[in-house]
Amino acid sequence: MSDAARPRTTALALAVGLVLADSSIVVLALPEIYRELDTSVTAVTWVLVSFNLVIALAAVPAAHLARRFGPGRCAAFGLAIFAGASLACGLSSELSTLIAARCVQALGGAAAVTAVLELLPATVGGERRATAIWAAAGATGAALGPALGGVLTELISWQSIFLLQVPVAIVAAAPILAVARHEAATGIISTELRRTGRPHLLANLALALVSAAIAAALFLLVLLLIEGWRLSPITAAIVVSVMPLAALAGRRLGGSVPSSRTRAAAGAVLVAGGLGGLALLPKAAIALTIPPQILVGLGLALVLSALTETALHGRAPQAIHGGWTIASRHAGVVIGLLALTPIFTHDIAQQRTDAIDAGTAVVLDSTVSPLLKIQLAQRIDERLGEEKDKVPTIGPVFEPLPDDDDDREAVIDLREDLQDQLDRGATHAFSPSFGLGALMALLALIPIGLARGREVEL
Amino acid sequence: MIDRADRGKLMFLGSIAVSLVLVGSYLAAGGSDYAPAKTQDPCEPREWRDPQGLQEIAQQFSLSALDGAACELGVTRETLARALASDEARRQFAEKYDIGDAELATAIRAGLLRAVGDAEEAGALSPLLGVPLRSALRSIPLDEAIELINDAEGLLDNVQSFLGPAEGLLEQFLP
Repeated sequence: MSDAARPRTTALALAVGLVLADSSIVVLALPEIYRELDTSVTAVTWVLVSFNLVIALAAVPAAHLARRFGPGRCAAFGLAIFAGASLACGLSSELSTLIAARCVQALGGAAAVTAVLELLPATVGGERRATAIWAAAGATGAALGPALGGVLTELISWQSIFLLQVPVAIVAAAPILAVARHEAATGIISTELRRTGRPHLLANLALALVSAAIAAALFLLVLLLIEGWRLSPITAAIVVSVMPLAALAGRRLGGSVPSSRTRAAAGAVLVAGGLGGLALLPKAAIALTIPPQILVGLGLALVLSALTETALHGRAPQAIHGGWTIASRHAGVVIGLLALTPIFTHDIAQQRTDAIDAGTAVVLDSTVSPLLKIQLAQRIDERLGEEKDKVPTIGPVFEPLPDDDDDREAVIDLREDLQDQLDRGATHAFSPSFGLGALMALLALIPIGLARGREVEL
Repeated sequence: MIDRADRGKLMFLGSIAVSLVLVGSYLAAGGSDYAPAKTQDPCEPREWRDPQGLQEIAQQFSLSALDGAACELGVTRETLARALASDEARRQFAEKYDIGDAELATAIRAGLLRAVGDAEEAGALSPLLGVPLRSALRSIPLDEAIELINDAEGLLDNVQSFLGPAEGLLEQFLP
């Protein structure tokens, strides 16, 4: 790649990473949005679902538009819409306007991402290299999204996630504008108008299943850390940054294996293994989330790149088939979120009740004085009322500690026992959903296995 | 030197092995059992812990009464305990489970009667005390019944008053 092409390649990769990061960037901000906009868990999930749903539906039509009107113009126009909608998201004070702006953001994003795939081969000097860069930028963006969103939410606000995307989109659009101007001036559209082949069904199906599983890993882990274990968004961001770091390492790992089918299968198994680990956490401890996250991160890097390469290999036009991969990935995310949200919201409500009952049993069976028991029962009940539908922070119930030494010691033990029951409840509530995510990743092995003989040997 | 095909096989088998090791070790560490402790069915008898002295007997008595009332109402002992902690909690409980004051009073009286029986069975209360206690509890108003569950020590003191002014009489009937 020439030195002159490098800035444009970087800008194009940045555009893809930026848009695809948006499919997951608000994950860590959801609890904050949930609290600030005073809504329900199911409703706030639509901030995430709406973007992924619209991008899934718009990706292929957007790719056709890119071929009709020119990828440069389409990418520039898409990024402009994306930037404007990001601004609207950042200024939203109601859930409905935020979701509407997210839909528009996804429309612009779909246009930009698919058009970039048409622009990349000319910039980097080859379709295969272009595909690899495009797939890697998308996977990196999606993996980095939650950590970036968490840091911004904690340091500034959830609105800043969207507002800061505006200048980034403008920077990414700058080199693309030159192509757009060239297209407008000459009327030459830089894509070859080849016949559209059928999309690679098996690779796209596998992409959808794996994406559903990865969405489960990212979305549920973040909710477990913030809503279940009561971590701050920035701490949760640091914890979940293990996944993108492992994904970056996974890219190197994949380079040594030429068969895309093998890389895809190994990646799907690792994602399933990581989710299986998250479903079976033996304790509410951050350290125990690290090994599963490493597996999911390594797995997602292997499987997403391999399946995207398979779906695009030997197919033209790239934008249309790239559109199909984007549609499949985001449809998978939507299916994952819609399938898992009711399961875990039901489970968390049930586990909350069980944990509170178990905690109350600890209080009732303790040796503290009856009067103190009544006071504690009252305070627990008040706390539950204050933190409806959430796993309550139980520490304040035990403040101030009694003056009597025996009671003080007993109350400290009680506090720990009660917290343990709540941690158990919160962690256990997520187990079935993580397990279902693991199952989805394993199901992806079926289309990957059926794609035998059609694999890409690099 | 490992050839390209073998590298693929190694990667695939390695991914299976690593996944199985992770899942297996988390299972072995108790991952499938990490859940809130199950609370006991209030209708099942609960064994008394060798109570010593009036305060401990009173505590066990309250717990038995809660069990009995919760069993009657079809809720857990813990849910009922939180509901009886304040008037507001009781109102919300009644609304949630559609339980009127009369039904609650009947259940709590039944719970208190079960507690008397449990106390007798555990040898913590003489049958001589049980008779007047049962008689007093059968017609006790709701607010007083709740108060008694929350403060069984007071109940036993009340029995002492009920039996007469003789100082120390209660202690004679307690083990």
